[in-house]
Amino acid sequence: MKRKLAIMLCTVALFASACGGTASQQGQGGGATDTLIIGGPLEPRTLNPAVQSGMVTALPGAQLFASPIRHGKDFTPQPYLAKSWEFSADQLSLTLRLVSGATFHDGTPITSEDVAFSLEAVKKHHSFGKAMFGSVSSVETPDKETAVIKLSTPTPALLLSLSPALLPVLPKHIYGDGQDLTKHPRNVKDVVGSGPFKLKEFTAGNRIVLERNDSFFLQDRAKLKQLIVKFYPNSAATSTALEAGEIGMEISYDPVDAGRLAKNSKLTVATTGYEAAGALNWLELNTKNQYLKDVKVRQAVAHAVDVDFIVNQLHAGIPQVAPGPIHPGSPFFSKDLVTYNHDTAKAAALLDEAGLPAKSDGTRFSVRIDYNPGNDVTGKNVAEAIASQLGKVGIKAEVRNAPDFATWSERVSKYDYDMTIDSVYNWGDPTIGVSRTYVCDNIKPGVVWTNMAQYCNPTVDQLFAAAAQEMDTEKRKQLYRDVQRQITADVPVVFIETQPIVNIYSKTYTGMPDGIWGVMAPFLEATGTQAR
Amino acid sequence: MTDTMLPEPTTRSAGAPARQGSVFVALLRSPVGLVGLLMLATCLLATVLGPMLYPVDPMEIAGRPLLPPGAPDAPPLGTDEVGRDLLAGLLNGGRVTLLVGVAAAALSTFIGVVIGGLAGYLGGWIDSALMRFTEFFQVLPILLFAMVLVTLFQPSVGMLSFAIGIVAWPGTARITRAEFMRIRTLDYVRAARAIGIPSLRIMVRLVLPNALPPIIVISTLIVGSAMLFESGLSFLGLGAPGTVSWGTMLGDNRDKLAIAWWTVTLPGAAIFLAVLSISLIGDGLNDALNPKRRKR
Amino acid sequence: MLLAGLRRLANAVVLIVAVVLLNFLLIHLAPGDPAVVLAGEAGGTSPEALEAIRHAYGLDRPFMVQLLNYLGQVLQGDLGHSYYFDASVTSLIWQRLGPTLLLSGSAMLFALVLGTTLGVSAARRPNGAYGSGITVLSVVGFAMPAFWLGSLLVLLFGLRLGIFPTAGMESVIPPTGFFAQMVDVGQHLVLPTISLGLVYLALYSRTAKASMIDVLGSDYIRTARAKGAGPSTVTFKHAFRNALMPVVTVAGLQTGALLSGAVLVEIVFNWPGLGRLALDSILRRDTPVLLGILVVSSVVVIVANLLTDLAYRLIDPRIRTGVAR
Repeated sequence: MKRKLAIMLCTVALFASACGGTASQQGQGGGATDTLIIGGPLEPRTLNPAVQSGMVTALPGAQLFASPIRHGKDFTPQPYLAKSWEFSADQLSLTLRLVSGATFHDGTPITSEDVAFSLEAVKKHHSFGKAMFGSVSSVETPDKETAVIKLSTPTPALLLSLSPALLPVLPKHIYGDGQDLTKHPRNVKDVVGSGPFKLKEFTAGNRIVLERNDSFFLQDRAKLKQLIVKFYPNSAATSTALEAGEIGMEISYDPVDAGRLAKNSKLTVATTGYEAAGALNWLELNTKNQYLKDVKVRQAVAHAVDVDFIVNQLHAGIPQVAPGPIHPGSPFFSKDLVTYNHDTAKAAALLDEAGLPAKSDGTRFSVRIDYNPGNDVTGKNVAEAIASQLGKVGIKAEVRNAPDFATWSERVSKYDYDMTIDSVYNWGDPTIGVSRTYVCDNIKPGVVWTNMAQYCNPTVDQLFAAAAQEMDTEKRKQLYRDVQRQITADVPVVFIETQPIVNIYSKTYTGMPDGIWGVMAPFLEATGTQAR
Repeated sequence: MTDTMLPEPTTRSAGAPARQGSVFVALLRSPVGLVGLLMLATCLLATVLGPMLYPVDPMEIAGRPLLPPGAPDAPPLGTDEVGRDLLAGLLNGGRVTLLVGVAAAALSTFIGVVIGGLAGYLGGWIDSALMRFTEFFQVLPILLFAMVLVTLFQPSVGMLSFAIGIVAWPGTARITRAEFMRIRTLDYVRAARAIGIPSLRIMVRLVLPNALPPIIVISTLIVGSAMLFESGLSFLGLGAPGTVSWGTMLGDNRDKLAIAWWTVTLPGAAIFLAVLSISLIGDGLNDALNPKRRKR
Repeated sequence: MLLAGLRRLANAVVLIVAVVLLNFLLIHLAPGDPAVVLAGEAGGTSPEALEAIRHAYGLDRPFMVQLLNYLGQVLQGDLGHSYYFDASVTSLIWQRLGPTLLLSGSAMLFALVLGTTLGVSAARRPNGAYGSGITVLSVVGFAMPAFWLGSLLVLLFGLRLGIFPTAGMESVIPPTGFFAQMVDVGQHLVLPTISLGLVYLALYSRTAKASMIDVLGSDYIRTARAKGAGPSTVTFKHAFRNALMPVVTVAGLQTGALLSGAVLVEIVFNWPGLGRLALDSILRRDTPVLLGILVVSSVVVIVANLLTDLAYRLIDPRIRTGVAR
């Protein structure tokens, strides 16, 4: 702090004498070899993916913590911390054999105990821990290098749930000290991980600095020496910094901007990535709101929203229309849904039926629309467009800004909202990422990306429970078809579009994480030089 | 951002009592003032008549976002990041800005004249107390104070005008005070006092008219800075909700400058020209009313 | 001299107390329960948290006790607690004060040095091409919204030409070495300084020009000329010092406005200062931080005014008698 102060003071002196004369000599020559700076609205509340879902935590989390299994292209499982694994014949037990000699960043050996501890932690604290590991009856640890996951019912999505973003292997000797894991101080500082990078610095409002873990258990440790996550207030500022060469990579949610950057000869816009994310952009409704608790009002909102405008005009036709809770790219996506065409007359009629007639000034009632901040094009702009569309049927909507993710998530997860634009991931399999936002027992105040609509329909719960243990794919599809139909009939969420996520990086980098999890996987192959 | 940045140094001394009504004529004779008046007239016409001649709702989505001006199917000046008509925004967005500018200036002039006048005319402990009070408002960073007010009491056109006006007056008070102190010692005021005319009457009828020229100049300039403040608050997203303002347009589209210059450049230019016209008028008035400057 | 200084100091303390009182009033005048106002986001506040706030601020005690309690706390440097960050407001503001002072200070310096130079040099032939050019610059600069200018500068010098960084106060990976870091911060400082400083450059050049013309026309300078002093001697030795006085006065009056402008420029350039914190606090309804910033920035203005006073005395020996302004 003192040093910084001195630098600032001297800078003033420099200014006084030279008036910026020296300032034109840009850069200090060369650049930073084997360093990558990823920029974006990426400031996490915690670095521990066991207690927080979402890309913002998963990006540093997947570097700090290893998991039993990784996934290659086409979703093929690959050895990671588990060198091999096998299901029992009855599909009710999975045996993981861990690599020998693996250690945490503090030198403590990684054992099967830690795996068992981590799985229990995720099951208990993660917003969809129960969806992923609810069927796990116990984790047995016959020896230090063997973990056996015992299941009460067959669990088709289990291998995908052992990915770095979903099952980080935590050191039990640190996190098992009895403190509340969601608020554990070591979630944000002095993190002792199992992954290819160590935490060097995490400064609120500024950046995360990760340094290569040279005693990583894989023979080929990470190629990058340093990985920095630099926080920007929004995606536009990030793109500016990327174009100016101040950062090496951004994760773009903005389809229009990605199209523009594709023309920049210095940048690579990845053509693959995030297939497992299955991200959807939607309008979630607080079903406990005094107006929105009526299904007719929710249906009216769905009719008032002009999805075609949002997809084809606002987002230039790049995303797909996503009419239901499952990503259209998923094999479990069903076309047999209750759909809501853009029809203001019908919306008005429904609102009249619901006992909300237009007052003399043309309005019926007022709501606030929140949005997940950071990516204005898919957040704020959609909120503004919908506010304007709702206005046409007499719903006065005011867009409420949040300065950062933490503020927004605090509001919506504690139900201090009426409707919110949000992007939510399917996470590869409907068992993992879909049911969590609809089932009754996942209404968890304070936890973002749970059932924040506070929607509860026992039929939906039963269908999800059945689908989660059905090993027959056709029967599973059938169950998911029914659940998709029921949810679209009840409209806890107005479904809008898919959310394209694209890695964009400087051409100086190769081996970038363009796999099914994108940056929510370890950066092992990536290499290149930060230009500066 | 320019609360007290008003030209005390250049308006220190007005000359002989000015004749009322001649102010406007004098302004017309000053080339700078004339240019300013013409620019302001254009602005006002566009703001008042524009929405009638071009009746497009500036809050409504008119088409695809970020259509450049002149593109096929685009509104004349293109669309913003959500697809709203930029021309409609420009024509409607001046209303709030100008309204807040004038209202805030009126409020601050009123406060400034009352406090400065009392201090200057009465002198003594009243003077020092009132000047302490003035100093207090001079110390408040105007934009931050307005931000606090608007946050605690909800933004609206009235609230914005109040928040700016309530902190913009110290300059006016100081100038008024100086003028009243000077005029108070002139013979005709002494004579009036000698024949027993009440103080209040002397201040309003005899002193104030002759102190007006520099007050008019500073009030004009406060209109300009109040407009800049309104734009700044709107730029920060703290403007009156549900209304279009040049500052809001600029703030919303700021990030699009690199790819859609028109969305940022045009509202910015509108603010710039409107404030420029006001400050040219201020300059013109200053030239016209200040004989010492007129000589140059 | 000493007495005058003490009087100014006492005056400053009175002003600070007044600002604190204003803050206290604002908390109580705002609609709703003061505890809710202080807690921030109403929806996410538990009854226990509100009770804690009531207790900490003594909101359950008589009004006068509350007032004295609050005054005492603030004067001891305790600006309250941010429930959003769960940290003391003083420490939050302290982290952000440096960058804001750096930006405002360099803008002030930039405007003072360049503005006075331009104004004084223009005064020699006020109606010539150069003199008129300066006049135009000052009028244009006055009307230019700093946040707009900043955006345009980023586009031109940051993106198109790539000469200066587009945002922030230092590179993501700051260079090693003290001098290199200084240059790094300096580079990041250029565009925000120009954006913030231009309005004041306009004002100071105008003020300097006007007062220089006044001074050059005065008897005192005519005498110097008659004595055979050359034009540069007249301008710089005799007239300059006198012409500087109004500029210093104006500069002193501008500190509050300068800080206000810095808020906007910080937003444009993502500068890690008080302005950014103030805006974020508004959006988070983190009232204690916002009110704390108001107090601290007012104190900065008060201190700046004291310094201006001092500068005034240094420039003009006549004032040393203690008759300030």
